[in-house]
Amino acid sequence: MSKPNDLVQGTLDLLILKMLALEPMNGWSIGQRLKQLSSDVLQVSDGSLYPALHKLEQEGWVTAEWRPSENNRRAKFYSLTRAGKKQLQIESGNWDRLARAITALVRLQEV
Amino acid sequence: MSIDRFARIIALRFRSLFRRDQVEQELDEELQDHVDRQTAENIRLGMSPVAARAAALRAIGNVAYRKEEVRDTRGVRWIDDLLSDMRFAARSLGRARGFSIAVVLTLALGIGANTAMFTLLRGTVLRPLPNRDGDRLVYLRQAARAVGTKNALFSVPEVNDFKAAASLSAVAEYSSVLPFSLVGKDGQTVRVRTAVISGNYFDVLGLRPVLGRLTTIKDDGADAASVAVLSYEYWMEHFGGDPHVVGTAVRLNDRLTPIIGVLEPAPKYPHADDLYVNTVTSPHHLSATMVTERTHRMSELFARLAPSVTVDQARTELTKVAQNMFQDHPEVYAKAAQWDVTVSPLRDAMNERSSLMFWLLMGAAAFVLIIACANVANLTLMRGVSREREMLVRAALGAGRGRLRRLLLAENLTLTLIGAAIGLIVALAGLKLLVAFAAQFSPRAEEIRLDGVVLGVSLLTSIAAAIALSFVPRIGGHRALAESLAPTAGGRRMTLGRGRQRFQQSLVVAQIAVCMILLTGAGLLGRTLVNLLSVETGVRTDHVLTVDLPLTGDLLKEFRKQPENLARYERIRDRVTALPGVQAAAVGAAAPLRNTVFDMDVKPENRPIEPGKVTPHLSVRSVDPAYFTTAGIPLVNGRPFATTDRIGSEKVVILNRAAARKLFGNDNPIGQRVAFTGAVLKFTPFSDAWRTVVGLVGDTRDDGVDSDPVATMYQPFAQEIIVGGTLVVRTTADPAVIQPMVIRAIHDVAPTQLIEKVRTMEQIRDETVSPRRLNAMFIAAFGGLAFAIAMVGIAAVLAFSVSARTAEIGIRMSLGADAQRVRRMILGEGGVLLVVGVVIGVVGALVTSRALRGLLFGITPHDPTTIGAVALVLAAVGVSACWLPAARAARVDPAVALRAE
Repeated sequence: MSKPNDLVQGTLDLLILKMLALEPMNGWSIGQRLKQLSSDVLQVSDGSLYPALHKLEQEGWVTAEWRPSENNRRAKFYSLTRAGKKQLQIESGNWDRLARAITALVRLQEV
Repeated sequence: MSIDRFARIIALRFRSLFRRDQVEQELDEELQDHVDRQTAENIRLGMSPVAARAAALRAIGNVAYRKEEVRDTRGVRWIDDLLSDMRFAARSLGRARGFSIAVVLTLALGIGANTAMFTLLRGTVLRPLPNRDGDRLVYLRQAARAVGTKNALFSVPEVNDFKAAASLSAVAEYSSVLPFSLVGKDGQTVRVRTAVISGNYFDVLGLRPVLGRLTTIKDDGADAASVAVLSYEYWMEHFGGDPHVVGTAVRLNDRLTPIIGVLEPAPKYPHADDLYVNTVTSPHHLSATMVTERTHRMSELFARLAPSVTVDQARTELTKVAQNMFQDHPEVYAKAAQWDVTVSPLRDAMNERSSLMFWLLMGAAAFVLIIACANVANLTLMRGVSREREMLVRAALGAGRGRLRRLLLAENLTLTLIGAAIGLIVALAGLKLLVAFAAQFSPRAEEIRLDGVVLGVSLLTSIAAAIALSFVPRIGGHRALAESLAPTAGGRRMTLGRGRQRFQQSLVVAQIAVCMILLTGAGLLGRTLVNLLSVETGVRTDHVLTVDLPLTGDLLKEFRKQPENLARYERIRDRVTALPGVQAAAVGAAAPLRNTVFDMDVKPENRPIEPGKVTPHLSVRSVDPAYFTTAGIPLVNGRPFATTDRIGSEKVVILNRAAARKLFGNDNPIGQRVAFTGAVLKFTPFSDAWRTVVGLVGDTRDDGVDSDPVATMYQPFAQEIIVGGTLVVRTTADPAVIQPMVIRAIHDVAPTQLIEKVRTMEQIRDETVSPRRLNAMFIAAFGGLAFAIAMVGIAAVLAFSVSARTAEIGIRMSLGADAQRVRRMILGEGGVLLVVGVVIGVVGALVTSRALRGLLFGITPHDPTTIGAVALVLAAVGVSACWLPAARAARVDPAVALRAE
């Protein structure tokens, strides 16, 4: 199994939602953009991206639409739904709390 | 969850299910697009095209696996799996054809019987009435128990007492007592079943017109115009559903009555009427005594409960109203007569006769289904043994237990659904028959149909059966595959585990016990039929033809035409008597074994009624001198009527034994005098003069062969007012052959005479018996079905046991057991099951047959002969069913059996 062990469990959904909040894009671009924006720190395996995307779609957080793309073919473009926007708020709130808690713990002075 | 998200999800699920190809193609395309882009990106980063593509593919990993992951997100996987399981199941069942056919047929019978009976029950007893708010309707019935009057009807003053009750929002009157006749377009007079109703009747009952309008309170009273409403059936049958019928008129009892509308189809209770008319159409209903006299009872009462009042509350109040009424008028309601008023929901009143019977049939059908399922469970169990290895192999290859259970469920669903489908077809085919059957018991028979609820229940039944069956066989886990495959384990395991064996035996025992219960019911109903057929009716029913010759027009006017009506009836009788093949002919007010619907209080002379006793209430019947000999009613004492007993001569009567006992105890009634009495007398055209008893005749069962003989007073046909006549003809030849000649003779004498109900006495007698016969046949059919299934069940279980124990039997035989001993062993095995089943069944029959009490005649529900006989038959057939496998066991050749090991 090639679950992204470099990512904290469940954060892939959050990252995808966040990427799509910036602008609608296709699967490949999401992966690329993640890599760029995190300066190659966050590497999402190409394989696990699609199940995650489809899950978000089936949950109704994101919606997909086929649009013509630059290479003269059509590509599937994902965008956030209204419910997805709310979900993003909830999840980023959760993340903030988690991150703060972990940061605080990690920074505890060792005696 | 927000609505638009929910809608989005539902839409996606549907798309995944029904646009599968497109969804899959889009997934391919999307992944392809990704690989292309990544390849281009890799080339841009400096890779060779081939390496770039390989790297892009590698990054995705196992594409098939990814696709599976994506498919999992769609949430419709289980449906896909179930469908593929069912496809697989169909294939595997196709290989086990014998098993599948046995199971499907058994289930089809079980589910078909249940569907049919549930359809019956739902259409009549369970479904709410089609009337608006039908469950708010109640039916009132007044009875005088001690007199034997089960439905005394209500008089206008009584109706007014009940109208005041606060628990009723409205009360409607309905009277279908007087005969009406109608002159058709062809000039022929026919009788129509007519109800005289209060204007609010349709509104109270919540019924609508399909055409025109129905009556309203404006149609009440003496000043309103006559109006008639057609029943839907009458409209269709006699007017061909003519939409222009409203505005035309019918000639009803010589009075032109306009048709104002056609009633929607609705259950008809208590009578099936053709026509509804307002009170003014029936002058009798407006007569002074009818309106003011408390004893002049002609109406049935229907009422609508006031809002939020329950039936119980209404019952409490109305009982109180009735009690007050009885107390306020002691001269009308004699205490000894035991008057009472009952209030029942209209739906219950309509199903008074059918409810018990239909529930019983439903119960019997349920029993059949239980037996069928037990049998299928048994078959599944046996098949499960031979499949145990298959299951273990599947488990070893990674199928979870849940997955295996699901596979079994798919197989069983396939079987039960096919069974249900065949069962439904059978039920559908029998629907007409079912309606005809139900019509004998319920006014709602026409409402019987296979509707969504019925289909839903059958579907649920089959799904429930499938689920239950899926938990019957064992699924791997307990025994390792290795153990099962190891040659030391004795090769294929053929027997069941101890627990499952017990279970299988319990199934057989349960089948036999349920069979015992059903067959006992069938036996009791069958003996009821035999009892009914051997009942002494008091009449010689063979070779007798009866023909109703009713009067038409306004009866009140016809009474005054006694001489000419009498002359006509006598001319008809004499002409028919002279026909060849006719031994004798007589005329009377009604055919023997048919109720006259005319009964009166009668008092004996010089014998005051003891206080606390009710005045004898007798059925009254006018007959001519030849009536008794023609019908075969024996003259016990005195003389029959003579041709000289006519108007003007001394008034004479003949009593039957039951009437004589009521009036004179054991004293000789001949020469005594009797007279009509009671409050009702003044509404009738009969006099209260003293009449001398000149003869005593045998009793007849005019209320049906299942009722006690009716106490009857006979009057000379020529001496009394004539309300109608029936010709009774004793033939030497077959009555069916004589019948056309009789009809022709009647028309020769009286061309306009109305002829109705041409029946032989045997047919009349059978009218009481035939509904019961149908009922008994249904129960017997269920019993027989259950019997056959159970016998096949026990034989199959033994056969299975024998084939599993071939080796054991071989060893036993090589150690000296002979064929007889082996046969005894197997028979004993079946015998134990039989005995236990029969014993439990007898106990069950004793408990459940009590429910049959109301349907039995001349036999108690615990009749030991019936129960004993059924037990014996069951045991005997059971032993013969066991004989086959036992004989096979006895034929085992030890050498062959042991070599096979």
